[in-house]
Amino acid sequence: MKITFKVNGEPVTMDVKPNELLINVLRDKLKLTGTKYVCGIGECGACTVLLDGEPILSCLTLAVDVNGREVTTIEGISKGDELSEVQEAFVEEGAIQCGYCIPGFIIMGEYLLRIKQKPTEDEIKEYLRGNLCRCTGYVNIIKAIKKASELKISKTK
Amino acid sequence: MCGLREALPEDVTSLITLTLSFSGFEVFKLKDLLIYSCLSLLWLSTMSDTSVGPEHLISKWLEAKEFLVVGKSVSRIDALSKALGTAKYTEDYLMSEALFIKQVLSPEPHAIIKSVDVSGALRIPGVARVFTASDIPGINQVGYALPDQPLLAERKVRYVGEVVALVAASDYEKALRAAEEVRVGYEPLPHILDPLEAMERSDVLIHEEAGSNIAFRTKVRKGDVVEGFSKSDVIVENEYRTHHQDHIYLETEAALAIPDMEGRVTIIGGIQYPHLARDITAKVLGIPSSFVKVVVPYVGGGFGGKDDEGPLAAAKAGLVAYLTKKPAFILYSREESIIIHPKREAAIIRYKSGASGDGKLQAIEVTIIHDTGAYANRSPFILWRATMHSSGPYEVPNARVDGYAVYTNKVYEGSFRAFGNASIQFAVERQMDQLADKLGMDPIEFRLKNILEPGKYTVTGQLLDHSVGVGDAVRKLAEVSEWRRKYEEYKKFNKASDRFKRGIGIGVAWHGISTSRGVPDWSNSYVKIEKDGSVTVFTGITEIGQGSPTSSHIQIVCELLGVSPNHVKVVFGGTDAPDAGATHASRGTSIGGIGVLVAAAKLRERLVSLAASMLNVSPEDVVLRDEKAQVKNDPTRYVSWKDLVKEAMSRGVELSATGYFFLPKGKFDDTVGQGFAYPAYSYIAIVSEVEVDTWTGQVRVLKVWPALAAGRIINPQQVEGQVEGAVVQGMGYVLMEQLIFDEKGRILNPDLTDYVIPTIRDIPEIAKPVYVEDVFKYGPFGAKGVGEMALIPMPATLSNAVANALGVNVTRLPLTPENILKLLGKVRG
Ligand code: FES
Ligand code: FES
Repeated sequence: MKITFKVNGEPVTMDVKPNELLINVLRDKLKLTGTKYVCGIGECGACTVLLDGEPILSCLTLAVDVNGREVTTIEGISKGDELSEVQEAFVEEGAIQCGYCIPGFIIMGEYLLRIKQKPTEDEIKEYLRGNLCRCTGYVNIIKAIKKASELKISKTK
Repeated sequence: MCGLREALPEDVTSLITLTLSFSGFEVFKLKDLLIYSCLSLLWLSTMSDTSVGPEHLISKWLEAKEFLVVGKSVSRIDALSKALGTAKYTEDYLMSEALFIKQVLSPEPHAIIKSVDVSGALRIPGVARVFTASDIPGINQVGYALPDQPLLAERKVRYVGEVVALVAASDYEKALRAAEEVRVGYEPLPHILDPLEAMERSDVLIHEEAGSNIAFRTKVRKGDVVEGFSKSDVIVENEYRTHHQDHIYLETEAALAIPDMEGRVTIIGGIQYPHLARDITAKVLGIPSSFVKVVVPYVGGGFGGKDDEGPLAAAKAGLVAYLTKKPAFILYSREESIIIHPKREAAIIRYKSGASGDGKLQAIEVTIIHDTGAYANRSPFILWRATMHSSGPYEVPNARVDGYAVYTNKVYEGSFRAFGNASIQFAVERQMDQLADKLGMDPIEFRLKNILEPGKYTVTGQLLDHSVGVGDAVRKLAEVSEWRRKYEEYKKFNKASDRFKRGIGIGVAWHGISTSRGVPDWSNSYVKIEKDGSVTVFTGITEIGQGSPTSSHIQIVCELLGVSPNHVKVVFGGTDAPDAGATHASRGTSIGGIGVLVAAAKLRERLVSLAASMLNVSPEDVVLRDEKAQVKNDPTRYVSWKDLVKEAMSRGVELSATGYFFLPKGKFDDTVGQGFAYPAYSYIAIVSEVEVDTWTGQVRVLKVWPALAAGRIINPQQVEGQVEGAVVQGMGYVLMEQLIFDEKGRILNPDLTDYVIPTIRDIPEIAKPVYVEDVFKYGPFGAKGVGEMALIPMPATLSNAVANALGVNVTRLPLTPENILKLLGKVRG
């Protein structure tokens, strides 16, 4: 099947099988390897990408379902080399260890801060509870989201 | 490979400002050639760094009082590419022409392999070949401590999940289908899952050649335990049980092998010790080690698991690539990862300890039994570590300890953060609480009466001469956590509360630095200064999330050479770097960093000496900082780093150095388990507060207070990250993680739905760690290991807190709601 969609602002057209998963299209065909495959069954959030601005699990999404829509992956978050506030805060707060879970967390962080400018700690946990990290103990990830929120607010002032 | 991906930001040369304004320097450069040469020779003759031993260089930096970057929370350099999503892990190097490898696993726990029929698999189009033990050109032996383990099963299988064959096909689907078509004929043998039964039986032997199911024994004999117990006014005796834990690194095991790159078999893989993976692969292929190259890119978590399984994944991919002459790729599915790879030890510990009325420990008598599973792997080391730590960080005059690593037909035991020590410290610390209770003493007060200090002897009779900050750590922790107040307050709270009970507990632990069993340990690194002044560091230490090559190694170089972190490239994790030992045992910074320090210190001596001659001051008066060599009390007089490097090149000063250091160790007598066990110990104490819902059995951890005596803290942010991560991984182990085995020893929950790890919703508040910087004489700036530390006392501290909350004896893990209700007598156990 032929599908056309936008990835990180760029239009792409390709042939996909009806059962082909979005994550395989992103990683293998488009070489956007920032998105990680960890469990394949919707338990870890590492494969999260934005579809028309909403987070989805690319390991459970069929490629055909993104036809005509817009996908944003971790590679589309920064503006060139300029980090987004969320990315910057993750670096500064020591929220990154092995890094395998990080693209998923950053995508969720971007989404959360777009819908809630200043989330409470409880809201942060509520939105990120579907993302697993085995390295950091989540402490600095929470700090990073809070910091990113501050950075964003100070920039819009 | 990946190490090379993060080039210096932009063009280095544009970032270094040339400083030629120092007039003395200009004048010096104008001297005529003859004088110049003579001066050079004279100056060179005063160079003495060949006579400066590494110990001297290490101790010089141990005494430093002020630092440029050491002790500061510098961001790790790999965070940037990891945040951008450009950091490359093994799977990201996958090439479309690579063959996919799928593993054929044994469904039998113990059986003779009668036949392997691969014809059906080979009929599937796209299947290149099927490999079994008989295809291995070299030696089919990958046992780590004992020669008991094949890479591919030979003659018989010993656990459900053992790898019998490898299928290689042009794509994943075909490999998967073909693996299902491989027909293996098994003749089942009686199997044993219980280590106690395995110890007793000789009619069923898991390894016939061993003559028994006991793979390895350890012992400690110190003093006279009979006398010790006769002097004891209180005695406590219990049997403890701990369970397996899976690492659940987010990235499963993976390796990509390229058959002929640079005339070598090159393997990119998620590995913790590239040189070990290389040696194992070479042995399996029957070729010299120097004809195998291993590159370890970023690794999505290791925790010990990829120290064991990483080299095996590498060898499997290497085998297929070598025999097919095509690139070959193996990626374990989550299910395969959980079923195949080794686990944290499941232990049975019988512990008897006694103390006199004055609160002094008099004797311990301990039996440690590890359910080693199908293969010994590292269990001799894990058991040895458990045995030599069996007293906890306390002085005990009389000890009798026996350890047994026992074969069973289950997934085998392996390395996991804490390495045998979390289970034994759990037993020790439960005993300590109960002894204190019988003595009517406060648990912390009782511990402090027995705590190790400089000048005291360990359970192996080793004199601790320095770096023992555990007493101070416990005292400070008692203060900041307000231990005493809460201890009393929770008693009142629990009287008034029917459903919810609160408790506070402490776990204190120690962990020997460096390898166990007296195995030689060393550090090695190669550092070179490039023409433009940038610095390249080569190390075999890998980046598995801990960040040593991407933070502390860089800090060490910046501290010694005064260069900016942007100009330091650490090429890590490859066999083309010197063998720095494994990235395990919390040794990435504490041991791996020594080589970097020694090499950088050698270069520094040479350049400081040159700068002194250029600036006309003595070397003691030269400071390297801000990319300059400047005069100590007159920063206006300086040579820029870049010019200093240029000058060094023109004068024949060697700008590269290896930093090799062999860690001194003492004698150990295995027949009595006495002698030198480790060069030093890291210490940790954790106080935790819990609330238990006695209706549901749910344990909630409210707050955790860590105190660390791990020598110099080179990067507080990284250390905190390690502590927090280990606390949560340890909490997961104690409260929720559990592998379920069926009657064949098959793991029934090999996925992230049924094997549950902590989410962001489960975490407690974690206080900033208290640090006691009890410097270690051989560590870089006195650093000891940190990575494993906070996991070690988690079973101890949480079970003590739960016991305190409920007024019950906790002897078994995990503390799942079901098991808590059993403890409360609400469901039958
Ligand atoms: S890989 Fe998609 S949720 Fe885990
Ligand atoms: S940083 Fe390793 S899993 Fe999150």
